Amino acid sequence: MKARISTEWLSGCSGCHVAMVDLHEKLVNLVEDVEFVRIPVLMDEKGYPKADIGIVEGAVRSSHDREALLKMRGSVRTLIAFGTCASYGGPSGIGWLHGKKSILDKVYGGNPTTGSQEKAPTGVPELEESVVPIDEVVKVDFQLPGCPPHPYHIALAIRTLLGAPGPALDAKPVCAQCNRKMEKRTGVTLLKGAVTAPEKDVCFLSQGVVCLGSVTLNRCQAQCPNRGVACAGCAGPSPAIIMEPQLDIRTMVARRMGLLTGIPEEEIRKYIEEEAKTFYSYALSSPVIYRKPTVEIREWTSVPSSGAREGI
Amino acid sequence: MIEIKVDQDACVGCTLCVDLCPTDVFEFDTANSVPVVKKPGECFGCLSCSEICPSDAITHSGNLRSEDHYHDEYNLRLASLLAPGIELPKAAGDKESEKRAMDDLGVRLLAVAAVFRQTLGGSLPAVGTMAGRTLATQLPRYQVPKTFQDVLDLAVAQFGPTWVLKPVMDGDENLTVDVGDCYIRELCKAKGLELGGDLCVLFYNYLAGYIGRMSDSRLKLVESAPGDKACRYKVQVIRRS
Repeated sequence: MKARISTEWLSGCSGCHVAMVDLHEKLVNLVEDVEFVRIPVLMDEKGYPKADIGIVEGAVRSSHDREALLKMRGSVRTLIAFGTCASYGGPSGIGWLHGKKSILDKVYGGNPTTGSQEKAPTGVPELEESVVPIDEVVKVDFQLPGCPPHPYHIALAIRTLLGAPGPALDAKPVCAQCNRKMEKRTGVTLLKGAVTAPEKDVCFLSQGVVCLGSVTLNRCQAQCPNRGVACAGCAGPSPAIIMEPQLDIRTMVARRMGLLTGIPEEEIRKYIEEEAKTFYSYALSSPVIYRKPTVEIREWTSVPSSGAREGI
Repeated sequence: MIEIKVDQDACVGCTLCVDLCPTDVFEFDTANSVPVVKKPGECFGCLSCSEICPSDAITHSGNLRSEDHYHDEYNLRLASLLAPGIELPKAAGDKESEKRAMDDLGVRLLAVAAVFRQTLGGSLPAVGTMAGRTLATQLPRYQVPKTFQDVLDLAVAQFGPTWVLKPVMDGDENLTVDVGDCYIRELCKAKGLELGGDLCVLFYNYLAGYIGRMSDSRLKLVESAPGDKACRYKVQVIRRS
């Protein structure tokens, strides 16, 4: 009997679902073993039929997301948090910084393209106070972060869940698969705003460009750094950052870069803090990051704390 | 012995582990651009190398993991779901790891006491007193103690709950301190050591140094009675002011 797969998208960009279609001809092989009973990117199914595997993309942002997620959990046996938004909140998690009221006021009242008297529409699912990863709402059985998850890992995950023997999944950072040579240099300056560097075989950190490869889980086969763009941290923090409260994205990157280039750690750390909405964009609404004792993204980005509830 | 493994495929050849290792365990093999474990016996498990490693290529086994106390359960569960194979520490509150951490601390404490005794001999009590005085000057004091009783109350609060102290004054000079729960006593019991040894000497003088500095007086030990459930110190308090 074919295994039944049901998928749902919440607050995300649907890119993770498109990544499933990126399986290309593998998808055809897969369809021999599985039956998609619900997959919004390919078919229209409003209900939540019973399934063996549930795949959920996106974070919980609205009352609709919450209800849909609970229905998914109730209808599937194994639930996968699919993509970085589902696992950590993702880029829409920046809403965690601001709170519901200030966002609605800004969008409907203080926007140049809207009148100042416009009100938020009614009769639509209500925006929640903050953005939360799905594992804060329901029990999640597997996490498959990535923005989007790499088709290799999608195929691996589904095949493994179907019982096929697969290679052990490692949990190393992006650097482990990056081909660039990390080397010590002198006379390097911090290149603020840069995401590329002149030498293609040498590590970005050695060249003064902030790259998040060493603090990011490798679920991408290091595609960006190997093709010339510094890692943006899209698969979320590495296990060391997740598990150890004293390690943080900014401190570990600053430490390594400082040791490699001689640029003062303080300077690098300040820069990352100033640009926290960029460097923390994928996981800032996850407790993994905001509960860290020294991470104060609201302070760094000068967001007034009155706009958001404490602790969410 | 601690065993160190370097994943050569993951290593990016940054040499930071070689630089940071406090005991020079590694040597860098420039031909293959990887660190080689040259002196594994020197490793004392500080994990500086695996912390700095950008590609998480260095793993240790056989090391004590006394850090188990501060791990967050949510974070550990999430990490376990990312890659079912990775070895996780245990979350805080786990009895087994708590015991291991206490054992680890005990080994270190006993080693410190032994080293002090070897190098300082009869000056051991002075070390405890000095440490207690230093503590008294460095702890944040939210209220300045006015009377000797205030100092005793403060000491009870500062030393608890690791040490449960019951100090009672009889007149102006005679102080009796009962020590209830005590980590050192538990340690001595577990290791089969007699009470009243070097660690006890250090502890008593630490406490006396602390109280003495806070109250500007000298505490002279009159009698000490170690016990299985509680220890009692009889002390003469000599005021300086």
